[in-house]
Formats: sequence, C-alpha cells, structure tokens
Amino acid sequence: MPKYLCLQRTLASNQNEAKPSPAQMQGMYEKFNLWREKFPQNLSDLGGRLGTGRLVTVQSPSDGPFVEVKELIGGYMIVSAQNLDEAIQVARECPGLVRPGSGVEVIEIHAP
Amino acid sequence: MISGLTEHFFRHEYGRLVAMLVRRLGAHRLETIEDAVQSALVAALESWTVGSIPDNPSAWLFRVAHNRMLDELRRQARHNHVVLQKEVVVVADATENGPHTFPPGDVQDDLLRMLFACCERSIPDESQLVIALKTLCGFDVSEIAERLFTSEANVYKRLGRARSRLRELKCLSVNLSPEEFSARLSGVRSILYLLFTEGYLSSCAETAIRQELCEEAIRLTHILSEHPAGSTPETHALLALMHLHLARMAARQDGAGRLLLLEEQDRSRWDQREIEVGLHWLAKSANGNNFSRYHAEAGIAAEHCLALSYGETRWDRIAECYALWEQFAPSPVHMLNRAVAIAEWRGPVEGLAVLDGLEPPSWLAGSYLWSAVLADLHRRCGHDEAAQHYHDTAMKSAPSAAVGDLLQRRLETSRETRAR
Repeated sequence: MPKYLCLQRTLASNQNEAKPSPAQMQGMYEKFNLWREKFPQNLSDLGGRLGTGRLVTVQSPSDGPFVEVKELIGGYMIVSAQNLDEAIQVARECPGLVRPGSGVEVIEIHAP
Repeated sequence: MISGLTEHFFRHEYGRLVAMLVRRLGAHRLETIEDAVQSALVAALESWTVGSIPDNPSAWLFRVAHNRMLDELRRQARHNHVVLQKEVVVVADATENGPHTFPPGDVQDDLLRMLFACCERSIPDESQLVIALKTLCGFDVSEIAERLFTSEANVYKRLGRARSRLRELKCLSVNLSPEEFSARLSGVRSILYLLFTEGYLSSCAETAIRQELCEEAIRLTHILSEHPAGSTPETHALLALMHLHLARMAARQDGAGRLLLLEEQDRSRWDQREIEVGLHWLAKSANGNNFSRYHAEAGIAAEHCLALSYGETRWDRIAECYALWEQFAPSPVHMLNRAVAIAEWRGPVEGLAVLDGLEPPSWLAGSYLWSAVLADLHRRCGHDEAAQHYHDTAMKSAPSAAVGDLLQRRLETSRETRAR
C-alpha cells in the first residue's frame, strides 16, 4: 500500500488557544483511541510532535535566514492508503488535527 | 474504562498531582505547580495516544510534573540569578525521593490537607469553592462557571483572591489544632457537597451521570468522617444524602443514556445496599441539636428512597423538610423545591402560591430550573400563556442536550396530564 506523509501545519497564530481542561483531555484521549481503532490498517507510524532542530548545509549557518521548521510544522505521521483520497480521509478524521488554526498536508511518499 | 485509563483519569490525576506537589513545595507555588501539572497531562496525552500507556501512569505523571517544576524554577533562577538558586535546591531536595518511590507518602492525606488549605478561613467562601474545584477536582474556569451559575470573569476574580491568599500563607498548615480543624469543617463539607452535586446533576450530555465523581466525593467525605474532629452529625448527614442519592443514580437514565424523571424511574433498579448505607448514616446523624441543610436533604432523599411508588411518596414530609431547610438556610431554590412538593401534595394552585411575590435573584431567574418549575405549575393551573412563556425560557437556558430533552418530556407530560 502506498504511504503518505502527513504534516500538521500551523495556519494562523494560535498561541492564544485555550489550554484544554483535564476533562477535555480525557475526551481527546478517548476520541484519539477510537480513531486509532477505526483505522488499524492505515496508521503505519503515528509519528509525533516536532521539537527543536538545526539545519545542516554546506553553507555557513549565517547564510540564513532559515525559518524554524517547527514554526511551520507541528508534527508528522505516516499513513498507508490505497490512494491520496483515502489518506486524506484518515488524516481528516484524526481528532484535533484539522481545526481552526491548524491543518494537515498529505503528501505521497514515492517508494523506490 | 477506555483503553486502560479510568473514567475522569485526567481530572483526578490533576487533583492528586497538585495536592502532592503543594504538600512538598508549598501553597505559595500553587500557580507554577498547576502549570507544571497541566503541562505534564498534555505531555501524557501526546505521548500515550501515539505510543502506549506506561505501567504506572500516576508515577509517570508525577515524574514529568516534578521535572517540569524543576525546569521552571531553574528558568526563574537564571532570570533572577542568585536569589532563586536556593529555591531550586529546596525543590530538588523536597522531591528527591518522589520520582523514584511512588506513591510518595500518603496521597489521601495530601488530598485532605489540600482540601483544608482551600478552606483557609481568610479566603472568602465563594473563592474557597472555586479554588477547590480548580485544584482538587481539576475543573477549568469555564467548567467551574457553569457549575456555580456564574460568569468566567467572576471565577477568575475568585480564583485570584484565593491564590493570592494562599501565596501569603507560604505553606500548608502542617498540623491543624482541633479548633482550627472544627472551624474549617463546614467549608470543607460544602465543597464535598458541591463536588457530589456536580456528579449527580451533570450538565454534560455525553456523560450524563458522573458516578465516579460522586463516589470520589463520598470517598473524601469518608476520609473526613474517619478523623475524630470530622466525625460530626453534619458530616454523617452529608454522607447519608450522598449514599441515598447515589443509590438512585443508575436508575436516573435509561439504556440509551437518557435522563429519566423521578416518576419514570424503575424503582427496582435503586441500589438497596446503598440505601441501607445511607439510612445507617442518617440514623447516626440524628444526634445532638444541630439540624443542618444536610439533615434536611438527607431526610428528603430518604423519603424518596422509602416510597414504594411515585404516587405513594409522602409529599407532606418532603414539603416539611424543605420548610425546615429554608429556616436554616433561606434560599429561593428551597422555596422552589417546596413549591414542587406542595403542588404534588395539595395541588398546583397551592404550589404556585408558595412562589407568590418571590422576586428570584437574577442567577435563578435565568436558570432552567426556575423557568421549568413555573412552566409546569402554570400549565397545570391552566395558565397557558404564562406556561408557554416559561416553557420557552426553560428550553433556551437548558445547559445541555440531555437536560433539554428531560425538560421537554417533563413539560410535555404536564401538558398531557392536564389534557386528560
């Protein structure tokens, strides 16, 4: 099955987004598990949130400016699907991924 | 239980972690502690959903919260240079054994101490309730606002007051004198009562009945009753009413999770063992001269539990209990309930007469309870226009779909009864 890279994109500044309450976290946890159970065949790698990193190039770092990758991309995961539409469907239903201020970019990974 | 975590896991862990850290690091660091706990829970959510739950989730959370606490204090220390360095050492020492030996100390004891800290006398009552709901029960500001019939701005204000008072206190009273203990008991009981009511009268449609929360309120109340100074008739009456309500909890919803009206409930589903436990505490509470609101409410709950059918309910005794309750704690809510009991006992006209001339405070006038009772009584009296007005208002102010559904049925029933 083809694989798709899903990148969580921060669309707008949602710095002021309210912190979830513990009760809401419980709800998110339960929804996320239901989603995992719904797509057992598709979820190849649930990936994770991205932390800090560094760009490595032949040029010296001062040749920037480089945008911090995590400012654009919050996290990633890898989904297996028959086609792009199916991968989009899986990603779209992932709780908390597609919402105001956040979206997901679904990209096919070409197998060698 | 979903995927290995108990119901309300996050909220309960929040309360436990805050209590454990406050005990070790002091109430003056409450806000930093709450941030660290919040951030540990978010980390758990991210890590456990993608991977799996660790063998001991509570220990995992304590370790993460503790580390975040240290990081934050180090960060503050870098900012303020030398001054805070000492604090970091203190914190590291205080929690040194924590992450490795879990549970560190007696968590129940930590919770009880936190409860008493929240009930510090110099904090206004309404701020005590708010800080307890925030720190011990893990509710956020909007959830608290809903529970207490108030605005979020108001909750923030009350929270701020409680926190600044706790900051000044520097540390939790390690050992209370018997006098201090007794003086705070009543505040502690109101918080436990509120915690119970939150579970019993849930306003969340998805988990219409939060039995776990009620059981936790009962557990905390039992801890209180096991302390010699806490074992008073009022505490026993509080336990009685909790058990007598809990006994009927499962019967309050049908198989589809819909809330049921008292007259619709299958009384054979009431938990007889819980009723026995409740009656035991009620008997124990009938001691001394102090008749409290909890005695009144336990008495009312006992009447319901002992009635073989809705029709056989001794409404005269229930109305009497509400009247007593009003004497000790005058409140328009009790008048409203008494009006309902009198309407069942002597008819809707007399029920409505109880409310004659009562100017409800705005928080009550705007609540669905007030409008629904008036809609029902007016309908039964044949005042169709007034009934419709209150019906519409009640439906608009229903806090959740489950409550709205219940109201709709209750008001429809009263319409049909009159038509018959």
